[in-house]
This record gives sequence, structure tokens and C-alpha cells, in this order.
Amino acid sequence: MDNTVEKQENIRKGWDGISRFFRANSIWMLMYCTGCCAIELPQAMTSRYDMERLGMGPMATPRQADVLLITGYLSLKTLRRIIYAYEQMSTPKYLVAFGPCTLNGGIYYDSHAVINRLDQYLPIDVYIAGCMPKPEAVMNGFNDLIGMIKRKEANGWKKYEQNKDWYRKNQIQALGELRIKDEFHE
Amino acid sequence: MNKDIKNLVADIKSRFELVGEDYPKDDQAALDFNSRDIHSVLAYVKSQGFRQLSILSCVDWIKDNQFQLVYIVFNWETGIRLQVRTRIDRSNPKFTTVTSIYPGAKYYERDVHEFFGVEFEGNPDSYKQLFLENWDDMPPLRKDFDSKAYSDRKYPVREYAADFSKAGDKK
Amino acid sequence: MKEIKLFLGPQHPGMHGNASVHMYVEGDIIKRSYLLPGMLHRGFEKSMERRTWMNNIALIPRICVPEPDTNEMVYAMNIEALAKIKVPERAHWIRMIILELARLSAHLMAFGGIGGPTGLYTAMYWAQADRDRILTIFEEITGHRVYHMYIVAGGVRKDLPKGIENKILDFLNDLESRLPEYEDLVLNNPTVRARTVDNILLPAEVVWELGVTGIGMRSATGQEYDIRKVAPYARYEKVDFKVPTATYSDAQTRMTLKYQEMYQSINIIKQAIDMMPGGKVRAKVADGSALRWRVPAGQVYSAVEASRGEYGYYTVSDGNTMPYRVAVRGASFPQGLLGVEKYMPGHRIDDAPLWFDTMGICSPEIDR
Repeated sequence: MDNTVEKQENIRKGWDGISRFFRANSIWMLMYCTGCCAIELPQAMTSRYDMERLGMGPMATPRQADVLLITGYLSLKTLRRIIYAYEQMSTPKYLVAFGPCTLNGGIYYDSHAVINRLDQYLPIDVYIAGCMPKPEAVMNGFNDLIGMIKRKEANGWKKYEQNKDWYRKNQIQALGELRIKDEFHE
Repeated sequence: MNKDIKNLVADIKSRFELVGEDYPKDDQAALDFNSRDIHSVLAYVKSQGFRQLSILSCVDWIKDNQFQLVYIVFNWETGIRLQVRTRIDRSNPKFTTVTSIYPGAKYYERDVHEFFGVEFEGNPDSYKQLFLENWDDMPPLRKDFDSKAYSDRKYPVREYAADFSKAGDKK
Repeated sequence: MKEIKLFLGPQHPGMHGNASVHMYVEGDIIKRSYLLPGMLHRGFEKSMERRTWMNNIALIPRICVPEPDTNEMVYAMNIEALAKIKVPERAHWIRMIILELARLSAHLMAFGGIGGPTGLYTAMYWAQADRDRILTIFEEITGHRVYHMYIVAGGVRKDLPKGIENKILDFLNDLESRLPEYEDLVLNNPTVRARTVDNILLPAEVVWELGVTGIGMRSATGQEYDIRKVAPYARYEKVDFKVPTATYSDAQTRMTLKYQEMYQSINIIKQAIDMMPGGKVRAKVADGSALRWRVPAGQVYSAVEASRGEYGYYTVSDGNTMPYRVAVRGASFPQGLLGVEKYMPGHRIDDAPLWFDTMGICSPEIDR
């Protein structure tokens, strides 16, 4: 009896390792340019730095994407759309934050429209430094993410599910209401 | 100051009551009018070749309890720019739309309404929010609005063990 | 047929930047449409009132991401007009080189960007690769690839590094030899032509109604309505260049004008490198600390010709260490907001990104 449980556990572990290997080597990122750091993404994607050699490619819909890039500052209006997009993505999902604006507000620390700390609202796996991060830094950040996925360290999505109430409370405190009905005041 | 501007200002002076004038650049004149004249001034300068409204903006002169509306118009043939300015009461900021003269003003008026709270009668859309969403305070570009205090109140700030922003001052 | 409510963007690969078009469609024809801006609203105009005149130099390039140098230029022009600063001759020429390099990079991005809505990704790859070389040149001159903070009140921050002229000329010659290939790839490509010829028209009377400037205006009116010609700044009156125009403005024409403007930019930079005098590059603006510098009171508006049209700042000073008010005229404000509302209806859904690309709409400068 014990023998079969052990066997099953081994099989599960084996599959887990295989799936992590494939996840780490084929990352689809959601094409959502939320801020100015996105201007260096085309450079990272095209011929000079060629993101595709890491197995990364752009994906148009959140449901099929693995990683959401927060490219820079987030105004409240974008934060709301980011939360929509993040919650639509299927697990496992990862979040990469660019620049100091996601860390502590950066140069917009005193702005009435830009949030200061993104980790209050969404769980972040990797921060990339620089204003804006150069393509080398972007590539390095993605390399880190791949390593973290392989080592089972990119667990932001689990954290989000476990602490959903806390995140939701913060989101509502900033946004007022999460779903907005009448964007155009018609 | 070039000759075209001199002639133009003299022409405008003969038709409207000029409250103040200033020439910040060689090809630019800033003219102040009473608020009741603004529409006829704009209609007149438009007929004189100032076919483009570059921007409509607002300045909050809180000490005088006034808002200043600035219409910047441009003449593409001569390269002359005019600032047509007027001051309105700050405690009850109301003005009439200029969209019948410059249709492009529609969204600039909406912008000024959102950030300063000036109401434009005759522009039905100017009351709607445009850039902000669920805004819960006074219009943010007014001088008595403190964006730092608002930001600190609403968005949590990251705490650091040491205050690195003051590090340079000690030396 | 029933009207359906549809969102294009913000999270949509065809959208330019973080903005959203909210449309009502019947079949695939747009009946009504509105732009929903504000997703990049950072409150620049407020933040600038909270920083000193010098501190703002770090902040302002971030208003328009693809072409940040125009921000620095108009900001510096306004301060110079208020404080009556005389800029050294060499600085004018360096500014012109920087502005034209920025225009080239923005045009390359937009010209390659047409690959997105038309499905021609090769154009995007080529254009980004060439744009990257401009960014490398910028990095060598200013120390940063995208946001340069190089043009400051009183001149430019530093002189050009030694030997950069040859690097720029090498790049320009190379780009000039490659541009005909772009023409074959994009402008003469039957699949692109099928989408762009006689599509997304912009009649001349609409230009005046909306207040559209830049390529949109020149492609419809046939006049040389370019601020570099009409009200020259820097030393544009001293170089010899043409302003391409047309009288029939469809998407193809506007792309062609963009393509022709790239040749003119190359031409201007070459002349500027040739004619540039030596000497100082920065006038001393303040006695004592520049951070506590007080700019004399006044109200002034300056504009430059950005790749998308008239880009201007209205600066108000009350004689203090910080600006009293700065208002930004984003070049794509009219075509982005009023244009989408009035002139998109009647087109197909998939033509909306073409309007955004060929009219040069840049959402960060609309939102500020």
C-alpha cells in the first residue's frame, strides 16, 4: 500500500518537474503596454536582443498568456484594467514589474493619479530596475523569471489566491469600486 | 516686435476694449479682454487668419480669487501667435463655450472642466469626466489641492529602514 | 442589424499605447466611437508645479515617450523667452541635430508600426533595428537611450563627444541607402496598399475643424504648414530643406509623407553637422545655485514641430523657484479625441488602428 502512494508521489513529482521545464521555456507574455517602459520592449523583442531565443513570445489575449508585464507607473485607471486582465489569466501566472514606479512610485511619488506600491494590489515575482530598464536589463529580468519558475520560486499567483481578501481590500481602498459600470457617462 | 503684430494689435484695439497687453516673444502677443468680449474677439481673429486654436488652458490665480482662461490661436500664414486671455470669478467659475467658433475646443473645455472645475455652458459633454475615473476630491489642478497629501492618504508608501533622500545633506 | 458595444484596447495588440476606443458597431462598420483616454494620466501639470525649474528637466521628457526631446526643447524655449537668455550659437545646431534624430526615430517607429495593423511584421523588425542604432547614438551623446534630459535652458547639457559626427554620418548614409528598401517593402506592397489606399480619408476642411497639425494637415491642405518653416526655432531658417505636402490625404499618402520626411531629416542633420560652429554650448542662466533659480514672471507659449504636429507648452511664472503653471498641448490631442469621435464612424473596425498609426497618435501626451 505505502509502496503505491510513494510511487504515485514520485510520478506526480516527475510530471511536475516536466511541466515546470516546459513552462519555463515557453513563456507567453501579454501584450499590454501599461507605461513608458514598454518603449524598450520592441527593442528586446526584435532582432538585436531577440526575446524569442528565451522561448518568449507575445500573446494577444490574457487567457492564453503566462506573464503580465507591468511596464512602469500605473494610474488608477490602468490599475483597474490590470486587475481585470490579471484575474482573467489562467494559472500559473507571473507578474514582472518594471522600473521604480512600481516599487515606490518613482518620479511620480507625489502624483494624485499614480499608485505608489504595486505589491499592495497584485503579487509581483520579479522587479526590473532602471528608469527605464535597458533591453539588457529586461532580458536579464526574464532570465531570472525563468530560473525562478524552474526552482519553484515564482509563487506570486498562489500568494494572491491565499491572500485574496487582503489584496481585494487594498484594491477597493484605492479604486473605490472594482468594476466600473459607466465609463463614458452615457 | 514685428510689424504684423503692431498692425494687428492696433486693429484689435480699435474694435475691442483691451484690458492689458504683453509681448513675451517677437512673434507673440498676449492680450487681455473682459470676459464678455471673448467670443467676439475670437470670432474676429479667426476671420483674420487665426484659424487654429492651439490650446485652451486655465491658470488658477488663487490670491486674486480668479481663474484665467487662455485661448492660444495661431496664424499659419504669418506665423503669429496670440494669447487671448480673460479672467473669471473663481468662486463660481462659469463661462460660455466657444465650440461654435472653434469646434476643436470641445475636448479642451472638457479638460479644463475636469482639472479646474470651470463649467462651460453650451458644451453638453464638458461636464463628463475624461481623464480621471471615480474622482473623489476637488479638481486636481487647483492651487489649493495638495497632490502629495492626497497621494499619501490614498496610496500606501513604502517604508525604508534609512531615509536615503536625506543622505546627501549630512556632509 | 443590431448595434453592438465594443472595446478596442487598452489591452489589444492593435492599439497604439495604453488607450481605449469605445465603439458601437453594426456588422464591422463603426457607427459611433469615442476615445477613452486617461490610462496614462500622471498629473504632470500638477507635479511640475511642485518641482523647481531645474528639477523639472528630469520630469518632462516622460510626457511623450517616442519623441521626448521636443518636450525639453519647448520647456527650454519658454524659460529662455521669460528670462531673456541668449543661447550660444553652437547649442542651437546641436539641438537641431538632436531634434531631427528624434524625429527620425519616431518616424521609423510609426512607419514600421504600420506593420502591426496590416500584418507586415517585417517592417516593424527592420524599423526597430534601425531605430536601435539611433538610440545607441543618443546613448553616446547624452548617456541615456530614451529619455535624454539633454536640452536644458541656456543650451545643451554637454558638448557632443569627440568623433560622434562621423558615427552619425555613417548611420545616416546607411539609412539613406536602406530607405528605398522600405519603400518596396511597405509603400509598394500590394497587401498594405489594399488597406491604405483611399482609406481613412482626412479632407482639408476637417483639418481646420479639428485643429489637426503635422503630417495630417500637410497631407490634406497641400501647404507647407510646418512650424519649422512658418515660425522657425533653433536654426531651421538657415538650413535648406523641403516640406513634403499632398492634397489628397488617405492613409497611404500620410505614410508616404512620413517616408519623405525621413529623407529631409537626414538632409537637415547632414547640413547641421557641416555648418555647426564651435564654441560654448551652454549659457550660464543663474547666479548662485541653479536649483534656487527664480525665473522672471510672465506667461509664454512655445511650440515646435514634433513628428506628429504642433507640440507646445504654455508656461506661467510668478517669479518664484517653481513654475506657477505649465499646460501641455499634446500634438495628437485633436485627432485623438475629436477625430476619433467625429471621423472614425463609417470605417471598419480594423481600420481604427490605421487611423491611430497614420495620424500619429501618442496616448501619453494626450493624457499627460
